[in-house]
Amino acid sequence: MIDFQLIADSLPYLGRGILITLQISAIACAMGLLIGTACGLILSSKNLLLRSIVTFYTTIFRGTPMLIQIIFAALVLPTLGIALPPLWAVIIAIGLNSGAYIAYIVLSGIKSVSVGQREAGKTLGMNSMQIIRYIVLPQAFRVVLPALGNEFITLIKDSSLASIVGVQELTKEGEMIMGRTYDALTVYIAIAACYLIITGALSLIVSRIEQRMGTNARH
Amino acid sequence: MLVIKDLSKQFHGKKIVANISFTVDKGGIAMLIGPSGVGKSTLLRILNNLETIDGGSITLDDKPLDNKEHISGMVFQGFNLFEHLTVEQNITIALEKVMGLSTKEAKRVARALLKRYGLLEKADAYPSQLSGGQKQRLAIARTIAMKPKIICFDEPTSALDPMLTSHVAKNIQELADEGYIVLIASHDTALLDKLDCTIYLMDEGKIVQQATSREFFKNKANYPLLARFVAGSIE
Repeated sequence: MIDFQLIADSLPYLGRGILITLQISAIACAMGLLIGTACGLILSSKNLLLRSIVTFYTTIFRGTPMLIQIIFAALVLPTLGIALPPLWAVIIAIGLNSGAYIAYIVLSGIKSVSVGQREAGKTLGMNSMQIIRYIVLPQAFRVVLPALGNEFITLIKDSSLASIVGVQELTKEGEMIMGRTYDALTVYIAIAACYLIITGALSLIVSRIEQRMGTNARH
Repeated sequence: MLVIKDLSKQFHGKKIVANISFTVDKGGIAMLIGPSGVGKSTLLRILNNLETIDGGSITLDDKPLDNKEHISGMVFQGFNLFEHLTVEQNITIALEKVMGLSTKEAKRVARALLKRYGLLEKADAYPSQLSGGQKQRLAIARTIAMKPKIICFDEPTSALDPMLTSHVAKNIQELADEGYIVLIASHDTALLDKLDCTIYLMDEGKIVQQATSREFFKNKANYPLLARFVAGSIE
């Protein structure tokens, strides 16, 4: 049976874990978005050298498990003399992993913007950067918003992997409560509910933004 | 005066524009007609720096054409309006980011143009909420906002109801009367008798016959190729 008293007593610890989870997710999301956008733009460019570098990066980060990447950042890098605080090692690993996926999401958005839009910008005298900034990216992001929302939801759930290297995010806090109480059912249901609330809230925000964009510029 | 001399352009070894030469005076309209794929649109794209040239020259008032100074503007076949921006923003974006106008000044210019083209009440709408004719008027307004000297129209009637041809012709003729150099690429000959223009019939990248619209309609027999093309397209 679910022990509601245990859940109530654990709220301060779970709350602390939620804050760390949100911190990891928010910073990794921002990092992933920045890296992914830059890499998406490079992948759509004609620069073979930069495209090769980005392809190498995305192949590594999409082709290996995130758990391995987190362990590498938090536990292996220190043995090579690069010691990062575990929280930041996790954020960087998740951000880089997310960036590799977002690069292809952004690339698909860029490809969905017709050549005519770029040409219209060019005939109005815009330079390449202005065309990307004011014409291509706003339209590309509108197209890929649902996919980006999914990526961010996945990222929030994947942040639970940080518990492996001792970062006291939501899952780790739950594990510690379970270690004291041995009530796996109650603790894991509580943790799952917390993740559900966070991802549900994000889904709601994304769908609101989608609605707003859809209303503003219907095709 | 716009002078196009021995202009040529190849794609994959095939000459799309083959040593074309003609001139257009200030306030003049050059109408390039011919079947699809004869190089009409390519010529307009070259004028707008969307294509490079393989040979020949383009000068405006004896200076080489340099579109970095927004000398030429283009009204595209499908209009290519920015779907994510409002009608007003479609005009202000380049005024602010390219011309460096303040938001207030850009809005003032945009509002004046929207008023001229009967789109003022649509200022906050999005292109997807406009009719075909309104989209074209917005595309014209967006182009002339940048104060080009040359305005190119690529197939200006193809995306519109045939009933709107007279309105399109009126808008184009007005621009020429204001002193713009206008070039039109079209395979639709319905515009010919509505414009005071010079007609250039193109085939395989070359101009095969030319006449002013007045001369042509006065004596079609003198222009057999043009007459045949016009008759064929009417049929």
